[in-house]
Amino acid sequence: MGPIVCATRGGEASYRTQARAIELAKERNLELVFLCVVDAGFAGPLSKRLAAALDDELKRLGRSLLNVAETRAQDQGVPAKTVCMSGPVRESIEAYLRQVSASTLVIGCSRSSERHQAFDSEDVTDFAERLRQTTSAEVILVA
Amino acid sequence: MEEFLTVEALVIILVLVATLVAIAVRRIRLPYTVSLVLVGLFISLQRPIDVEVTPELILAIFVPPLIFEAAFHLDFRLLRSNLAPIIMLAVPGVILTTLFVGGMVALGTGLSFATAAVFGALIAATDPVAVVALFRALGVPRQLAAAVEGESLFNDGTAIVVFNIALTVALTGAFDPLGGLFDFLRVALGGMATGVALGWLTAQLMARVDDRLIVSTLTTLLAYSSYLVAERFHVSGVLAVVMAGLISGNVGLASASPTSKIMLFNLWDYLGFLANSLVFLLIGLDVDLSRLWTNLIPIAVAVIAVLLSRGAVVYGMPLIARLFRRRPLLPINWRHILFWGGLRGAISLALVLSVPTTLPERDLLESMTFGVLLFTLLGQGTTIQFLLDRLGLSQQPPHRVAREKRLGQYFAGRAGLRRLEHLHREGLLLDEMWDGLRVDYLRDQKHVMEHMIQLFHDHAELERELLIQARREALQAERGALGDALRRGLLSEHVYEELLTDIDYRLEALDLIQAARVDVEID
Repeated sequence: MGPIVCATRGGEASYRTQARAIELAKERNLELVFLCVVDAGFAGPLSKRLAAALDDELKRLGRSLLNVAETRAQDQGVPAKTVCMSGPVRESIEAYLRQVSASTLVIGCSRSSERHQAFDSEDVTDFAERLRQTTSAEVILVA
Repeated sequence: MEEFLTVEALVIILVLVATLVAIAVRRIRLPYTVSLVLVGLFISLQRPIDVEVTPELILAIFVPPLIFEAAFHLDFRLLRSNLAPIIMLAVPGVILTTLFVGGMVALGTGLSFATAAVFGALIAATDPVAVVALFRALGVPRQLAAAVEGESLFNDGTAIVVFNIALTVALTGAFDPLGGLFDFLRVALGGMATGVALGWLTAQLMARVDDRLIVSTLTTLLAYSSYLVAERFHVSGVLAVVMAGLISGNVGLASASPTSKIMLFNLWDYLGFLANSLVFLLIGLDVDLSRLWTNLIPIAVAVIAVLLSRGAVVYGMPLIARLFRRRPLLPINWRHILFWGGLRGAISLALVLSVPTTLPERDLLESMTFGVLLFTLLGQGTTIQFLLDRLGLSQQPPHRVAREKRLGQYFAGRAGLRRLEHLHREGLLLDEMWDGLRVDYLRDQKHVMEHMIQLFHDHAELERELLIQARREALQAERGALGDALRRGLLSEHVYEELLTDIDYRLEALDLIQAARVDVEID
């Protein structure tokens, strides 16, 4: 069976999402991959140097978040792999699931009802539904 | 020469008064601009100062820096994310306000509808400077501040265009709806195009000449020249300044070095402060309270009309928009702030002063405008913080406050422990006492850390923020180390500058990441 992929970016539900993924990896005895996709597109057009600095800092932050998640998994006796990618979030996740033939995707959505939470629970539900149809992975939402 | 010196002395006195007010309001909970109006009123009651406030003075001297400063600071991304409500409030909102207020004032005061519509148009321009200053101080959501500020920037432009059309109708009695629409589009789009063209040109120059003094001069020239050029071509000077400010503040700044950016932000903060100070002080000085008293009933009608029409626009239009959108255009508590935060200021004052004396009801329009200005500034301006508090918009979410508190307790505890250790090393604290106190301190520290970890579990975004903060501090330390290396002769000036610029770009990138916190898509 393909690995369990946990997509994480350090949002409100990320700890709960990671904990659920670790628990599943333990239960099913499957490989666990923490995936972080960074996308500098939110900043709009920038000078070359600032765009490069932003991309680099986003990746650095992503790697740090992944290292924290990896340590948490190891503390519970679950070895984990980390992957940091750059690009549009949804498309990158979908492509990665296909690439590794993932069995499960664990993603979180914020409980906050704050407006402008660009990916609210409705959006993430739509995204999960699309992934279920376009990939063979089971998609688990954690709120 | 004598006249010049008199004007110079007057300007110095006004700036001095404004500065004293700015110092005084640091200790009281009253918006700065509101305090300026009150002080101006007080001075005019005690010893009237002979200041002739002309529309040219306000529109050509004060408005360009006021508007340019606001547009320059407005983040295009935030503006874009609020574009639909801003356009809705600034274009159809202004037209509806003109009609609603015009209708109600005509009914309530007996003015002709055409004359009342002139008042409706000039009073449609909001000036939320007092509210926005409060937003900054209280840490209100940036999107809400952008919506309030964006609306104000664009409705100034549309209100002036609608005002000119209404004034022509009031003076000539002739109204050509198609011609009016064409005029509206020509003046508004022409002004915007002028601002975009000059702003883009300036942004290109800023990209090529990255010298902090030159780019500062270029933006100052841009603020005034965009207004003058647009007015010369009989298109909207205000909208030209808005677009010029937006383009230079977003596109132009993107290529400027961090040093130039700091200089530009400081310069425009200062010019905005100066222009605001003088405008609101002049409003206070120019109020004739006895004339307002004589026109109390029409003023009351005007205030009610302005409030009702603002309510209809702010609450009614999003309901209509909801028919076509899945998501609400504006959250309900934002609408309350937009309603009560719709203060009036410099543009309304300049417009009413520009009404020709040939319009018989000019004096009444002036009294009603001053009345509404005073009501919004003194009534709404002083109570908006109460509303923000009640709606929970001025407070940080409890988990952020809790994190701050725990972090503070942790730092304080560590400092206390270090001090005890020092006293113990110096022999001022006996071993047993030190051990006893240390155990207690360490237990408290552990307790605080456990709470912090629990907070991170429930609100993992705090952990992300802490990582960003830590990286920022590390970069600041790297910056300091480079300075040391330069002083010790380990680095050449050229290499130092290059490395320093790289760190400054990284710090700016962290600011962008921090500001985009709400855009985290997947947890």
